[in-house]
Amino acid sequence: MQAFAYARPQTVEEAIALLEEHGDQAELLAGGTDLIIELRNAWKRPKVVIDLKRIEELRPAIREEDGKLVITATTVMADIVADERVRRHFPALVEAADVVGSVQIRNRATLAGNICNGSPAADTAPPLLVYAAEVVVAGPAGRRRVPIDEFIVGPGKVALGSAELVTAIELPLPVQPVAAAFTRLTRRRGTDLASITLCCGVDATGTARLAYGSVGPRALLIVDDSGVLADPGATDEEKAPILERMLAAASPSPTSMRAGPEYRLAMLPVLGARALRTAIKRLAETK
Amino acid sequence: MSAGGGIGAPAHRLGGYGRVTGHQQYVADIPMADALHAKLVTLDCAHARIISIDTSAALQVPGVRFVMTADDLPSPMPRFGPEYQDRPVLAVGETKYFGEPVAAVAAETKDAAEEAARLVKVEYEVLPAIFTLESALDASAELVQDPSIRRPGPLTGSNVLCEYHFGWGDVDASRADLVVENTYRWPMQTHFAIEPHGFIAAPDGDGIAVWSSIQHPYQLQKTLARVLEMPMSKVRVLAPDPGGAFGGKQHPKLEPLVAFMALRADRPVRLILTLEEAFQAVRRTSTAIRVRTGFKSDGTLVFQDFENDYLVGAYGDTGDRITSKASYLSAGPYRTPAVRIVARAVLSHTTPTHPYRGFGIPQVTWARECNLDAGAFALGIDRLEIRLRNLAKYGEEFIPGDTPADGDWAQTVRKAADEIQWGTPLLEGQGRGIAIGLKSGPTTGLSYATARFLADGSVLVYSGTSDMGQGARTIFAQIAAEELGVPVDRVSVVMGDTSVVPYDQQTSASRSSVLMGNAVLSACRSLQGQIRKMASRLYGVDEAAIVVDRGVVRLPDREEAIVDVLTAGLGRMGGELIGNGESRKDADPDHPLGGTALFFEFNCTACDVEVDRETGETVILRYVTVSDVGFALNPIQVTGQDEGAAVMGIGHALMEHLILDDSGRTRNLGAIDYRIPTTKDLPLDFHSYIVENADGPGPYGVKGMSEGSLLGTAPAVAAAVREATGVVIRDLPLTPERVWRAMRELGAS
Amino acid sequence: MSDTLHIEVTINGRRRGLDVAVHHTLLDVLRDDIDLTGAKECCVVGECGACTVIVDGRPMNSCLMLAVEVDGAEVMTVEGLASDGNLSRLQTAFLDHGAAQCGFCIPGQLMSAHALLEGNANPSVEEVHEALAGNLCRCAGYPQITAAVLASAPGVER
Repeated sequence: MQAFAYARPQTVEEAIALLEEHGDQAELLAGGTDLIIELRNAWKRPKVVIDLKRIEELRPAIREEDGKLVITATTVMADIVADERVRRHFPALVEAADVVGSVQIRNRATLAGNICNGSPAADTAPPLLVYAAEVVVAGPAGRRRVPIDEFIVGPGKVALGSAELVTAIELPLPVQPVAAAFTRLTRRRGTDLASITLCCGVDATGTARLAYGSVGPRALLIVDDSGVLADPGATDEEKAPILERMLAAASPSPTSMRAGPEYRLAMLPVLGARALRTAIKRLAETK
Repeated sequence: MSAGGGIGAPAHRLGGYGRVTGHQQYVADIPMADALHAKLVTLDCAHARIISIDTSAALQVPGVRFVMTADDLPSPMPRFGPEYQDRPVLAVGETKYFGEPVAAVAAETKDAAEEAARLVKVEYEVLPAIFTLESALDASAELVQDPSIRRPGPLTGSNVLCEYHFGWGDVDASRADLVVENTYRWPMQTHFAIEPHGFIAAPDGDGIAVWSSIQHPYQLQKTLARVLEMPMSKVRVLAPDPGGAFGGKQHPKLEPLVAFMALRADRPVRLILTLEEAFQAVRRTSTAIRVRTGFKSDGTLVFQDFENDYLVGAYGDTGDRITSKASYLSAGPYRTPAVRIVARAVLSHTTPTHPYRGFGIPQVTWARECNLDAGAFALGIDRLEIRLRNLAKYGEEFIPGDTPADGDWAQTVRKAADEIQWGTPLLEGQGRGIAIGLKSGPTTGLSYATARFLADGSVLVYSGTSDMGQGARTIFAQIAAEELGVPVDRVSVVMGDTSVVPYDQQTSASRSSVLMGNAVLSACRSLQGQIRKMASRLYGVDEAAIVVDRGVVRLPDREEAIVDVLTAGLGRMGGELIGNGESRKDADPDHPLGGTALFFEFNCTACDVEVDRETGETVILRYVTVSDVGFALNPIQVTGQDEGAAVMGIGHALMEHLILDDSGRTRNLGAIDYRIPTTKDLPLDFHSYIVENADGPGPYGVKGMSEGSLLGTAPAVAAAVREATGVVIRDLPLTPERVWRAMRELGAS
Repeated sequence: MSDTLHIEVTINGRRRGLDVAVHHTLLDVLRDDIDLTGAKECCVVGECGACTVIVDGRPMNSCLMLAVEVDGAEVMTVEGLASDGNLSRLQTAFLDHGAAQCGFCIPGQLMSAHALLEGNANPSVEEVHEALAGNLCRCAGYPQITAAVLASAPGVER
């Protein structure tokens, strides 16, 4: 790959200063599982690569703080999958993190990186949407929190200014019983990039949250308050039209190699119904 | 079976130690002092006219020594190829496929070579590309190859490279109660050996040394000698074990280019392909096969009528041979009164096809076996029964004028049926399939081997076979261990150096256990003969009264260990005994393929699947593969090859295809979008079995193996999917999306 | 900021100081700078696992890591499995079960398997498959590789 300079800031402020200095000539490096490929193919040609892994504040950690689970920017998928609190409160995130590539990839790929890369097929986007995650951003103007739904803008685009970086992703700990399930569509049972990513969550008030990706420029979150979807007593026939409405915003690519648009559109309600059934079952188990 | 790891023992793989310690040196691992690194320049299109090549910016990159283009090579451009000498060393005037190199950079570092390759500016005009059978065969189609480089004949005005007619009886006069006609398609696929091809060339005195991950070192040597205009004695080919080949490393590709570069630089030059470049370098031909099968109402075959079209790519490569050899066996191991086969190899602006495990047979098997199932279904006859009814018996000449059935094939089929529990019920949404594959081994062959019996009783065997994972090195050591009565760990095998090891024609067609095995055996027998002479001299006994039986020398009154006779016979001066062996199958000019089959690989594959009715995902619940191998020289290696072939077949059946865009470029180059099986894609219950009747032409009754298990996978899986869902799919692969689509269409109709 | 960097890294138990180009991957440096050619180059997109090495106890694709990222880390490659010329139990099991055919994927398989067994003394077949799902084998010796890993698990009774 083409040469670049390499920087290892020790603090968030140093990183911001480097970003201010180099602007779009800089790339941030956490896990590298996306960036290294982009560098090798010359899809990105930065002057400087800024490695975030020496910044104490960003070191891999998952901690409880103010009713939230805070996952720092360099925390890798393997750690998220193994964390007892994530497993208890956010099982759909575990399900998603556990299928990002292989063991080798999960030992490097970061949650923050998965989101910031902005792939419409990011496995972790739908669970983060369902769990109403927030992204903590640091920049020259200070820190701010951005709801995940606003943070993900489009393919390869997130709501980050040129001198900003993500320091953490926060998941509000549920105050009432809530249960979610993640599922996806792939070409083989082995590791794969997804043709559909989908997460469905239901809570004790009867609200159903459905997030799905890889069928349009960004993962979408649609909420249903009717109570019908979350109701274990409602029939599939009653639920189907609601699901259909929630999935109507899908606009899968007509040229994707991974799956054709017809197939994706047909599989959305299938996967949606399956994830919904699992979520309802999980909710019942939390009672 | 001897205790010292001789034949039949699951001896540790020779070369296994290097493989588990990381010390095994593949081409890319070989240290080469003072080497230049090469990088290819290719165009982003399938077919183009080269207008100009500007190397000035590339030459400015520090460390770049030169950029090779067609202008730097002899004129007319040297061309080479296994059957047709049509492939240029570098593209000249036009590129004919996506990935054909137009230039190559030589630089001091990999970084410099990569950067410079990016800076070579090629001005080119994109030309329309032909990459489907339909467009290639269209009457108004442009010619992929200019008639001037074609062999003269009636086809040079078309894109048909060659056409074959095989068969017997009179299909048109046959009367069948049922005729089933369908067209079956097989996509382009790629080998995806984990080791991409690698090449190193270095001037060697007034000659040249070339390292390559090549399966046929001697054919490479011959090609290089001709193209470089050197005597073969000055061309040394070193062939490290390939890191997987599956046929894709058989014949020269970029070695001539790298050799020219090394001669120009007067330094070693090293070119290691990326995985994407390997995908562009070799692939399996796609096919469309139209088959008509005629049956009597009791399922007996009346005729089989094939029209096979193989889309072989821009250069002949081995497309002609694949088309003819595979098509010849289209009708399979069945007794068929009338057969007609018309087979064509068709040129296209795509990567030239290269041999790929199965050598065209998977494609004909797909068509034949699926059509047999269609007939069984229509007639209401059990699919196992219809096969057994028509299967050639042991010794039956099922192809007039060719080798008769050389195995108890019914035994293999019954074993597969028993193990899959054919006839037992399955659950809703599940289905079962069974299919038979037949491939011929080589039709001609020549292998030499040398064995040296050293003074301490250890042995050196020289064999020109390429050990690409099938374990050739090990079985030759086992043969020598057996015949000379020495433990296998006292046998070393020297391979992969044309200056040291005598000639072997090639490593392909599952030939090596038989042909090279017999050559090694013959070399050992020569040693045994010399031992007999020694014993006669030492003990004053008539040679005729001495028998050398493997490690034992039998005299009239006693036995001596072979090593003791050797030591005594060599005496104080020491030395060694040298035995040469030869194994040959001569060509038969009257035979349509140039020779009869040395042996057949026969396999029966059966599987149970479950199909997700909503998504179309197919899970293989149980998978059984049975191969008729004659004798397993090394049972562990046989299992590894059979199961490996089966899993590769599963990949071909369920997930593998090269996807071209509408201008003929490959879209899914590389590992992310060309899917092959992982540990998570295995059948849930997976077993391989062998039938050993010691009835092969190789040592101890061995037959060749390692392609058989790949042949019947696709039709067996498709048949199971049909039983599970009712859908019939005739185009591979059976991806979830395609199965879903077929289920939907079936539901709609 | 620099384009070469001096790093200190422990490789196979031996502490080494290396001056590396910052844009070179760990795989590049292992193979080209210090002649540890056990880790292989194949897909270079983190799909095939032929480049797998163990960094601070975790298997990773060295093709997707810059060498500078292992400054201060402990790296194990396949060359570090045997000790004093004695094969590890895992390596011996690979030989006994015929797990290596062409052998090109085997260093990566050994690394993933070794890491698995360090953390899981008695893995199930599914756990072995999951641990090795990122190591492609085209010879498809998966059953033999799996059997070898299971046989060499420390928790398995002898």
